[in-house]
Amino acid sequence: MTQPQEVEILLVEDNPNDAELTLRALKQRNLANQVFVCQDGAEALDFFFGDGSHALREIGVVPKVILLDLKLPKVDGLEVLRRLKEEDRTKRIPVVVLTSSREEPDIARAYRLGANSYIVKPVDFEAFARAVSEVGLYWLLLNHPPR
Amino acid sequence: MRRGSLEWKLPLFFSALLLAVVLVMLAAAYQQVRHAALSLATERVRRIAKVYVDLLQREPTLRRAQTATLAADPGVREFVTSGGGRGRDWVLAAMRRIAPDSAPNLAIEVWDSSGQRLFLRGDTALRSDPAPALPTDSAVVSPYRLQHDTLLYVAVQAAVRQGTEGRVIGRVVQIRRITLSKQGRETLTGIAGGDMTLLVGNADGDPWTDLEHVIPAPPAEARARHDSTVAVSYARGELKIGAAARIPGTPAMFLAELSRPQVLAPTRLYLRRMSLIAAAIVVVGALGAWWVSRRITTPLHRLTTAAAAIASGDLAQRVDVPGTDELGRLGRSFNVMADEVKRSREGLEAQVLERTRALGDSEARLRAVTETAHDAIIAADGDGNIAYWNPGAAHMFGYTASEVVGRPLTLLMPERYQDDHRRGIQRYAETAEAHVIGRTVELHGRRKDGNEFPIELSLAAARTEAGISFTGVIRDITERKRIEQALRETNAEIESFSYSVSHDLRAPLRAIHGFARILLEDHGPQLDPEAKRILTVIDENTRRMGQLIDDLLAFSRLGRKALETARVDMADLFRTIADEVRRTAGDRPLEITIGVLPPARGDRDMLRQAVTNLLDNAAKFTRQRAPARIEVGHRTDNGEGVYYVKDNGAGFDQRYADKLFGVFQRLHRAEEFEGTGVGLAIVQRIVLRHGGRVWAEGEVDGGATFYLTLPGASPT
Repeated sequence: MTQPQEVEILLVEDNPNDAELTLRALKQRNLANQVFVCQDGAEALDFFFGDGSHALREIGVVPKVILLDLKLPKVDGLEVLRRLKEEDRTKRIPVVVLTSSREEPDIARAYRLGANSYIVKPVDFEAFARAVSEVGLYWLLLNHPPR
Repeated sequence: MRRGSLEWKLPLFFSALLLAVVLVMLAAAYQQVRHAALSLATERVRRIAKVYVDLLQREPTLRRAQTATLAADPGVREFVTSGGGRGRDWVLAAMRRIAPDSAPNLAIEVWDSSGQRLFLRGDTALRSDPAPALPTDSAVVSPYRLQHDTLLYVAVQAAVRQGTEGRVIGRVVQIRRITLSKQGRETLTGIAGGDMTLLVGNADGDPWTDLEHVIPAPPAEARARHDSTVAVSYARGELKIGAAARIPGTPAMFLAELSRPQVLAPTRLYLRRMSLIAAAIVVVGALGAWWVSRRITTPLHRLTTAAAAIASGDLAQRVDVPGTDELGRLGRSFNVMADEVKRSREGLEAQVLERTRALGDSEARLRAVTETAHDAIIAADGDGNIAYWNPGAAHMFGYTASEVVGRPLTLLMPERYQDDHRRGIQRYAETAEAHVIGRTVELHGRRKDGNEFPIELSLAAARTEAGISFTGVIRDITERKRIEQALRETNAEIESFSYSVSHDLRAPLRAIHGFARILLEDHGPQLDPEAKRILTVIDENTRRMGQLIDDLLAFSRLGRKALETARVDMADLFRTIADEVRRTAGDRPLEITIGVLPPARGDRDMLRQAVTNLLDNAAKFTRQRAPARIEVGHRTDNGEGVYYVKDNGAGFDQRYADKLFGVFQRLHRAEEFEGTGVGLAIVQRIVLRHGGRVWAEGEVDGGATFYLTLPGASPT
C-alpha cells in the first residue's frame, strides 16, 4: 500500500469491488500510486483526527482530494464530510462525493456541508472509470489548495 | 259623516255669507223705508197744520169784526149810556143780525163799565161769570176757557166807547161754545186723512180739544214750535209726530199729529215681509250650497272610503264617480291606481309565497343535511353557550342535545384550550377580530367520557340584530390522522427503499459489469470467441439493468416531488430540447419544426422532462426515416388547448394505444428500438400531475402523434 506521506488521493469506500474498480480507473490514468483507501467512515475520521492505525496528524500530510462514498458503515459519509469541513486543518481539502444515488436530498445535503462536486457511480464501468479519473485529475492537477 | 267634513263646512260657510249679505241689505232697506215713512209723516202734519190754520183763522176774524161792529153801533152805545134803560130793542135787533135768538152755542152780553151786565141773550149757560176784564182793544179774542169741566168756549169782546175815540163805557161780549158736529168733525179729519189727530187749544196751555173731547194740553215741546214748518216728536200717551201752528189773531194754537208707531207700522210690516223673503233666500241658498257641496263631497267621500278600504287591505274596492269633470277623472284614475295596486300586491304576494316556499324547502333541505350529517354541527350564542346540537354531534361527543344545549362550549374541549377559547369569544364580541372564524383548524375535542380525539373545526360567525351567533362544523379526523401517519410512514419507507435500490442493487451490478470488463480486457487473449460473446451478453444486460433501475427511480421520484408551478414558455422549452435532440442525432437528417405555442403554467423541471421524453421518443422512432420529420404544434379543440408532437416514424398499432403509457410497456422489440418502456409513462405521470390528459394516435409505419393538455395553459 501507499505510504501515507505520498497520499494524494484518499478514497473512502466500504465496497471492496467498487474500491477496486475505482483504483483501476485511477490506475489507467497513472494516479493509483498515491491513493489511500479507508473502508468506513470511522477509519476516515481516524485517518485525520484519531490516534488509531493512522499517524497523519504527526506527519502533517494531507491528501489533495478526497473521494468520499456517502453510504458507509459505522459513520456515514455525510457525517465524515461534516467533520472534515468543521476542522480548519481539513476544511480546504476538496471532497468529491461518490454516490450510487441521484436522490436530491443526499446531493443537496452534501453540497450544504461543503462538498466540492459529486459523481453518481454508474453501473457502466467505462462511464464510471471515465468520471472518476476525470474528477480525480481535475482536483489533482488543476486545483492547488493552499498548503 | 263627521262634523269636520267638507260636506258641512262648505254649506255652513256659504249660508253664513249669504245671511250676512241679506242682513246688511235688509238693514239698509229698512232704514230707507223708515226714513221715507217718517219724512212723509212729517210732511203731512206740516201741510195739514198750515192748511188748517188758514181755515181756522177765518172764524175769529169774522167774530171780531161782528163784535167790533156791534160795539160801535150808536144804538148799543145809547143802551150802555142809558144804563140799559133805552134802546133795548135796538140792541136786540142788532144782535139778531149776528145770530138768531135761538142759536144754541152762542151768547151775547153787554156790560157797563162798572161791571153790570146789561144784556144777555142766547145760550145763557155760556154767560161770563164773573165779569170779564175791560178790553182795551177794539175787539179781542180771549183764550179758550173751560167751564164746568166740559164746556169749552171762547169769548170775543169789544169795547163800547163814548164817541169815536172816547172813554170806554162798556163792552160787548160774544161767547161761543166750541162744538163740532160729528159730520163736521169727520169732514175735517177726513180731509187730513183718517189717521191724523187734529188738536186745538191755548198756546199757553189748557184747555185743549181733539174736536170731540176736552183733553189736556200737549206737552210744551209740541207747542214750542208753532210756525208749522217743523215737525217734532214727542210723547203724548204714545210717541207722536206733530206740527203746531198759532192761529193768527187769537191766543189759540192748532196741532196736527200722527201716531209714530202707526206711521212706522208699514215699515215694520215691510221689515217682516222682507225678513221672510231674506230668510227664504238664505234657506234656498244654504240648500243650494249643501247640494253643490254634496255633489262634490259625495264622490270625495266615496274615494275616501274606498282609499281607506284599500289601505285596510280590501283591494277589490272601486269607486263609481260618473261624469267627465275633474271628480269623474279623479274617480277613474283612482280605479286605475287601485287596479295597479291590486296587481302589484298580487304579484308581490306570489313572489313572497314563492320565496317563502323556496325558503321552507331550503330550510328543510338544510335541516335534512344537518340532521343526517356525519359531522357535528353545533351552533352557539354570543356568550359561547350551545344553542343547536345535531345528531352527528351527539354521536361524536356522546352527549344528547338535551344534555348540552344551554351549556358552554368549553364542555367539549380539553382544558388547555379553554382559556384561549374564552378570550377568543370575548375578543370577537368586542373587536370583531377573529383568529379562527372563517378558517378550518385542527384541534382536539373531548368526549363525554373524557377522551380526547383530533378534530377539524370550521367556524363561522354571524352578527345579527339578535346578537352574535357561531356555527361550527366539526369533523372527527381520528381516522384521517391515522391514515396520514400511515402515509407518512409509507412514504418514508418508499424513500428508504428507493435509496436502497439505487445504492444496493447498483453496486453488485457495477461489480458484475466491471469485472466482466476486466476479464475481457486483462484475459481476452486467453478466451475463446464463445467466452468473449458470453461476456458481451453479460455486459449488455448489466447495462440494461442499470438503465431500468435509473428509470424506475426517476418514475417513482415524480410521484413524491412537490409541484412548483410557474409560467413556462413552452415554445422556448421545445426549442431548447429540440437542439439537444438534434445534437444527439448527429449527422442523420432530422427536421424538427416548432409552431406557435402558448405558454403554460406548471413545474418547469417536470415539463422539461416530459418534453425531453416526447422528443427523444419521436427521434428514436424516426431513426429509419430519411428525412425524419418531427412537428410540434398547438391547436384548440372545443375551447381546450392541445399541444402535439407528430412524427413520421415507425408508428404503432392503434389497438395498443392504451398500452403506450404503461410502465415497462413496449410495442417494439428491443432489437428494433432500445428502451425500458418508462419514458412515456413518465410523460403521462407528469401531465396527470398537472391536471391534464395525454393520448396518442398512430398507425404502423404511418407515424405517431402525441397529444397533451395542460389546464394551466393560456388559451390561444
